Amino acid sequence: MSKELARAGINVAVVSAIPMIPLSVEVSRVVRGVRVEHVCGDPNLNEENDRRLMRRIVETALQALQTEVAGPTLFDPDASSAEEGIHAS
Amino acid sequence: MVEPLRVVHYLNQFFGGIGAEEHANIPLQVEEGAVGPGRAVQQMLGDRGTVVATFVCGDNYFVEEGEQAAVAARQALEHYAPHLVLAGPAFDAGRYGVACAQMCAVAKEAGIPAVTGMYPENPGYTTFRRELVCVPTGTRATEMQAILTRMIELGAKLARGEGLGPAAKEGYLPTGLRRSVVRQQPGWERAIEMLEARVNGRPYPSEVLLQQYETVPPPPPVKDLGQVTLGLVTSGGLVPRGNPDGQVSGFAQEAFRYSIEGQQALSIEDWESVHGGFNPHILNTKKPSYVLPLPVLRELEAEGEIGAIYPHFFSTVGNGTAVSQAKQMGAQIAQEFKRAQIRAALLVAT
Repeated sequence: MSKELARAGINVAVVSAIPMIPLSVEVSRVVRGVRVEHVCGDPNLNEENDRRLMRRIVETALQALQTEVAGPTLFDPDASSAEEGIHAS
Repeated sequence: MVEPLRVVHYLNQFFGGIGAEEHANIPLQVEEGAVGPGRAVQQMLGDRGTVVATFVCGDNYFVEEGEQAAVAARQALEHYAPHLVLAGPAFDAGRYGVACAQMCAVAKEAGIPAVTGMYPENPGYTTFRRELVCVPTGTRATEMQAILTRMIELGAKLARGEGLGPAAKEGYLPTGLRRSVVRQQPGWERAIEMLEARVNGRPYPSEVLLQQYETVPPPPPVKDLGQVTLGLVTSGGLVPRGNPDGQVSGFAQEAFRYSIEGQQALSIEDWESVHGGFNPHILNTKKPSYVLPLPVLRELEAEGEIGAIYPHFFSTVGNGTAVSQAKQMGAQIAQEFKRAQIRAALLVAT
C-alpha cells in the first residue's frame, strides 16, 4: 500500500513492529514499533510513559518524513532519544 | 544399512497444538517425538527415520525475541543432534514464515540441513530466500501432506550430503544464488535459440531470472510539515465498534474510510479492531490508538508540528491480503489523498 502512495508522490512513514518485513519489500521510510499487538505504545508502562513512548514513535515518523533517504531506511525511536529511558511500572 | 534419519520438526503454536493467537507469545518449547503435522512426517518416513523432537514456538515470540528464540533452538538442536530440520510449512502466514526461516538459519549455522515450505509472497521467503531451501506452497493448509512429502524428499537428499540441483529442477523456490557451470553449447548459440523461440512465440527459459519487488523511488523529504496535512492509514483492523462495514478479519479486499473529525482520542466504546492475524485484545480493552496514534497526533497538530490531520483515515486488515490487492487499496487511498493535496502520510502496519 505504501508504495502506491509513494508512486503518487505522497511521502509515507510506515510504523511496524517487524520492520524487516516492510524493509524487505523496499518500503523507504520504516519506523520501529513496539509489538504487533501494540505497535505505537506499550500497555505495560504507566499512562504517562506510554503516552511519551507513543509520542516518541510518532515524532520519529515525522522525522523520517523530513529526512532524505536513498532506499529502504529504518528509523529507530529508541535511538533518537535513548536518554529518556522507559520504565515499566 | 543406512542410519535412520533423525529429524527435528519446527511448528508454531497453532500447528503445535498449543492454541491460537492468544498463545502467540509463548517461548520456544520442546516436545519429544512428532506433534500435529509431524505425525504425517513420521508416517511418511516409516523405517527411514524418526521425528525425534518437535520445537514449538509462538509466532510473535520468534519474530520479536529472535535472539532468545535462536539461543533456545540452538541448545535444543545440540541436545537432539538431528540430521535434518524441517520447518513448517508456513503457507502464507507471515510471522510463521519468518520464524521458519530463522529456525532454518539456526540449523544451517549448526551445520544441519533444513527445509521449509512457504507461499512465494511470504516475507519469510522474500526476506531470507538466499539462505533457504523452501518448497513452494499455496495459501491453504489442505495441501499439507503433499508439501511435507516434498520437504522430506529434499531434506533426505541434503541429509545424505547430496547437493541440490537448480531450484526449478528440484522443485524448491529460487534462492537467487547462481552457480558457475560449463555448458556444452556456447552462449551465442543459446542466445540465438532463445531469440528464435521468442520471435516465434515459443516458451523459453531465461538463464537469468529477475524476480524482485518493484522499487518505487522514495519521495523527497517534506520540508514544511507545519504547513502540511497528514493522511493516516492503518492495517490494524480498526473499525467503529460493531463493524458497520463488515470488515473481515483476514484476506481483506477493501480499505474503509472513517471520520476522525473533531476527535481527540479513540475510545474502546467507539472503536475496535477486527484483525484476525494477531490477538486484538489489548487494542479492544485498552487503547485502539496503538494502531492509530491519534491523541499524540492531535497534540503535535495543536503545537504546530503538523499542519493538520486529514479528517478521514483509511483502515484495512493486514492479514493474508495478496500484494496485488494491497496495491489496489493503496492506489485508491492515494487517489483520495492526491485530491485532498496530501503530501505526507503515516501508515501503522501490523
